Amino acid sequence: MTPVARASDPTVVAVALAYFAVVVAISVWAMRRTRTASDFFVAGHGLGLAALTVASVSTSVSGFAFIGGPGLLYNIGLGALFIVLPASVTNVLGAWVLAKRMRLLGEVRGLLTVPDAIGARYRSPTAQGLSAVAILVGVVGYMATNCLAMGYVLDAIFGIGVGPGIWVGTGVTLAYSAAGGILAGVYNDVFQGTLMAVASTLVFGHVLSIGGGIGGLTRAITPTDAAFLGPWGKLTPLAALSFFFVFGMGALGQPQAVHKYYMLRDVRQLKWYPLLKTVGLLLVLLLFFGVGVAVKALVATGLLAPLATPDEATPTFLLRFTPALLAALVFAGVAAATMGAMNSFLNIGAAAVTHDLPVAMGRRLGNELRWGRVSTLVIALAAAAIAHGSGALVAFLGVFGWGLFASTTVPALAIGLNWEGATRAGAVASIATGLVVTLVLESLAYFRAFSFPAGVTGTAVALVLSLLVFLVVSWLTRARAAAELDPDVRVVMEV
Amino acid sequence: MDETDAGTRGPLTRAAVGALLVGTLAIAAAYASAFRAGGAPAWAAWLKALGVPLVQVATMVLGAARRGRVAGGTLAAFAALGALLAGVFGLALALPAGLGGGERLWLGLPRRAAVIVYGIGLLPALVLPVVYALTFDAETLRPEDQARVEAAARAARAARGP
Repeated sequence: MTPVARASDPTVVAVALAYFAVVVAISVWAMRRTRTASDFFVAGHGLGLAALTVASVSTSVSGFAFIGGPGLLYNIGLGALFIVLPASVTNVLGAWVLAKRMRLLGEVRGLLTVPDAIGARYRSPTAQGLSAVAILVGVVGYMATNCLAMGYVLDAIFGIGVGPGIWVGTGVTLAYSAAGGILAGVYNDVFQGTLMAVASTLVFGHVLSIGGGIGGLTRAITPTDAAFLGPWGKLTPLAALSFFFVFGMGALGQPQAVHKYYMLRDVRQLKWYPLLKTVGLLLVLLLFFGVGVAVKALVATGLLAPLATPDEATPTFLLRFTPALLAALVFAGVAAATMGAMNSFLNIGAAAVTHDLPVAMGRRLGNELRWGRVSTLVIALAAAAIAHGSGALVAFLGVFGWGLFASTTVPALAIGLNWEGATRAGAVASIATGLVVTLVLESLAYFRAFSFPAGVTGTAVALVLSLLVFLVVSWLTRARAAAELDPDVRVVMEV
Repeated sequence: MDETDAGTRGPLTRAAVGALLVGTLAIAAAYASAFRAGGAPAWAAWLKALGVPLVQVATMVLGAARRGRVAGGTLAAFAALGALLAGVFGLALALPAGLGGGERLWLGLPRRAAVIVYGIGLLPALVLPVVYALTFDAETLRPEDQARVEAAARAARAARGP
């Protein structure tokens, strides 16, 4: 584990401590309000529009947007933007495809989780159970990645080492997640999302100021590396478009964002949700673009030596080219992004263990709230142990988790909730395909048993195959489609 | 209301599912072509530049359809989005490569990068959420829809028993 540049600046440390104090205060408040499993898993279905929007922005953006993303942009040029460009479409796509129907289905059936919706749509415990297994496996992988990111952030701020940083960061997130469940998570997300948007916007303004605007940055980079500012950066068009496909369609399958639709108090507030979320997400992603391009321009003009590793882009820029207070805000923002994502994944993983799997097996647990807290603890400890012990494997686990969510959830839920011709067999086959293909291909690639040609990834292949399997198997078994729909689910799909 | 009447599982839904299948097959073919000995041919990127927008727009149509119908204005917005995505990807593929330091910048970026960043990263974000909000009350969720869902929920609860 290579540590990133260290802040060791009193302002940065003071702001970080203040940030953690606010997180603790919100968590204590939320813990006192968490009394039922519904409070714990879906915030009692009682969130307003502003809280839902900011929380959703916060959980949609992990530490990758603040650290890995700018580093990737610095490394491969504008091609890295194809990861975030779909954000201009995905929020409204999610609103049209999932938001209304998930929210109404949740109201009709009292649902708590994404696998709940799949189970209700197909009247199938098997589909619900398979979806829960896929989500649980993906959650542990994704959590491990975020635990490691947290270790890097705390080491950068306090100089405590990456390993201890993993355990301290996971411990703080675990404390508020287990105590206050999603209620603590959501209201911390509101605080954290606001912090991220403010920090990102200020950094972007600072980048434009010192770089002479976007034109100034372009003129600094072009003489030494014109390919950096090509439309695909240093990627092939196929690879860049692959990012757009996987992150554009895959966003519909990310449970940490999708299950938040259940939490909205009034379904009519969905009207302004995509507009507000798109604006919020674009603000948070300004840092991704700004820092990546600024660091490249600084290196091109000789003001900064080439970075040893791309992940140093954000810490190096903050510590050397921004005022201490701004750097402190962004470091707190990185911690916020990571903790927000971890909390959501903990909650979703706990729900899979204590709710979805028992329901799929026909044996509901007696006290879901208590078991939810126990599961949260176990998942967090497992993820932190994997992050601490496996080094580079966690990067693989993060990709694996994201791809697994996409290939196992997009066809069965996003398409299936809008197409009455979808069948139980199609859903089960597509979830199983996504699970097996993602696991096999990503593992083969990670262990170098097989290498994909340029522009092809296991995640993309798994998403394509699970979509095709879903459509073909549903068509082959179409005679059963109508009989598999409950009347109340049919109404939700018709309106 | 100006609507394309298609029935509960009518032609529009079937067309959207068909477009989803065709778009996914196009993307699959582009990936498959990359496994050839010489790498992906030039047409693979074009196939993907058409397939990805087709998949996204088809999914959007499926989601916006109510009983197999999508209002004409909304359908036009979806068609415009598809044309924008495919057009911008096509421009980035077709325009000659950068001219180095002598190239005129568009809003601070080389033109091929500018069409991608502003055309795809910004333009849909300014338009689509507004279309969604403006059509929400009339097309996405009417008061009578909510009443219908509440009645269905009551019936389902009664059928399941206490």
